[in-house]
Amino acid sequence: MDSSGLGVRRAVAFVAPALVLIGIFLVFPALWTLYIGITNYQLTGPAAANPQVVGLDNVLEAVRDPLFTNSVWLTALFVLFSAVIGQNVLGFALAWLLRSVSPWLRRTIEGLVLLSWILPSTVVAFLWFAVLSRDTGTLGLLLGSPETSWLVQYPMTSLIIFNIWRGTAFSMLLYTSALAAVPPSQLETARLVGASGWQTVRDVVFPHIRGHVLTNTLLISLWTANDFTPFLLTSGGPNHQSEVLPVLIYRQALEGGQLGYASAMSLLLLVGNLVIALIYLRLLRRRA
Amino acid sequence: MAGITIAALSTVYPNGVRAVDSLDLEVADGELFALLGPSGCGKTTLLRTIAGLEGASEGVVSIGSRDVTRLQPGERRVAMVFQDYALFPHMTVAENIAYPLRVRGVAKSVQQETAVRTAEGLSLGALLDRRPGQLSGGQQQRAALARAVAASAEVLLLDEPLSNLDARLRLEARTFLKKLQRELELTTVFVTHDQAEALALADRIAVMDAGRIRQLGTPREVFQRPADTFVANFIGSTPMNLVPRDDVVLGVRPEYLAPAAEGLFTGSVSIVENLGVTSLVTLDCGEDQIGYIVPEDSEPSIGAVVTVGAPAARVLRYDKETGLLVR
Repeated sequence: MDSSGLGVRRAVAFVAPALVLIGIFLVFPALWTLYIGITNYQLTGPAAANPQVVGLDNVLEAVRDPLFTNSVWLTALFVLFSAVIGQNVLGFALAWLLRSVSPWLRRTIEGLVLLSWILPSTVVAFLWFAVLSRDTGTLGLLLGSPETSWLVQYPMTSLIIFNIWRGTAFSMLLYTSALAAVPPSQLETARLVGASGWQTVRDVVFPHIRGHVLTNTLLISLWTANDFTPFLLTSGGPNHQSEVLPVLIYRQALEGGQLGYASAMSLLLLVGNLVIALIYLRLLRRRA
Repeated sequence: MAGITIAALSTVYPNGVRAVDSLDLEVADGELFALLGPSGCGKTTLLRTIAGLEGASEGVVSIGSRDVTRLQPGERRVAMVFQDYALFPHMTVAENIAYPLRVRGVAKSVQQETAVRTAEGLSLGALLDRRPGQLSGGQQQRAALARAVAASAEVLLLDEPLSNLDARLRLEARTFLKKLQRELELTTVFVTHDQAEALALADRIAVMDAGRIRQLGTPREVFQRPADTFVANFIGSTPMNLVPRDDVVLGVRPEYLAPAAEGLFTGSVSIVENLGVTSLVTLDCGEDQIGYIVPEDSEPSIGAVVTVGAPAARVLRYDKETGLLVR
């Protein structure tokens, strides 16, 4: 078993620093969140000094809370339209179409798409603020309707389009490499029998990249469900209309001071993530 | 059913390489035609240009009386079998064979019927429900051929059809391919770098080099009278003896040389290579090495001095400068 020849003691000594860091910054906060999720812990007041264990009361309360159910619904919409459909379809379309353009054009477009992905969230959020804001927003001026306040009048639509713009690069990169694995002779066979673009994608390409599609969808779904950038654009408003779960949890915890309640919601979000992951894993296994 | 006419065809790649260089070629209806040459000679590009997978830079490709130069591959009525067969791994053999019909929206029952009939013709009847991964190399090749046949194209194109098979299977597949082509009477062009394959299969051969045709002829013509020293060197399983003499280069196949009282070359035996029923003997004649073939059990001993000659009609003369055959 000791293939490195270090001996158990020295091996443990080598991994210990990393394990300690993971313990302090990952395991402990996770367990801590689980613990305070079953208390009435608050940011201030008597419950901050002496939190009481309330069991599953927080979870039951959340399930009955219209703000929470509204938030779950908005998160589902956000994930479905911006990730599962938006980033997936646009990322694949870009990867598919960029195969046949000149290398110069391809690198330029890939570069631009990547740029939207690697910029820091705060910078990007500020840029989109400048584009979408009322009176002086670029989009309003371009469309000749500067009185439109996009983030206020169409908050979810704005967030969805923003997230597609922001995250498509990952899908594009993943599908570009996936498409490189489709044997050219199979694509050419389809061309020779006169298959249309759609027939080629459906009959030749998709069966080859099915695993990639599932993996990609899983990753972007989880990232989008846990994405906090919407807070930077709309803060969940107006009137909770764009309050996806990470935003709701943040506002409950730090604006409302309800640390225990927010932790219970985090737990529910975690469970939701696990359910999504399990569904994808089941689909992957069925394919194999 | 249709022949192929190629006129002044050039295919130039974006990097400026003229893979096919103003080439003229006519393939007759129902002919089994070989494009033969070393790698990089443009034979595969020519095949792909006929298929429409590469665009012609200049010239015309016609199939029958149709000018197909500007048509999409799917509109040309050509079928192609790739070197790796390009079977769709997620489809059964039957689905693969019927795929050209499925694309055209032919009824399911007709698809099934065609798949069964075509598969029977290529002795794949028992394998219809298998997937390509469950087939041997030879079966995969026949499935790919069946798909091409089911497309009911006017022209069949084969890219290195035998190169992915092991040596024993290759012989079997070669016979099968020739028989199938004879039955279908389908105009067929295949690409190969193996001169033995071209000689054995084809009705006519085009020997290519640097995007041009060096010689066009029947296997017999190409073997017996290579048009230049390049073809002479390329054709034949033992290379032709090319010996400079005065102002010409003499070309004699080892198979045509035999010991003679008064011959062309005299030298001492340096190497004997066993080829099965024959042996290749190499004579050391000063500057030149001369090879000739002897039947089994009549090999000379090493060091023996031998004089060999050939019938006058079998000794070819090539121009020293141009390398062309002197008539």
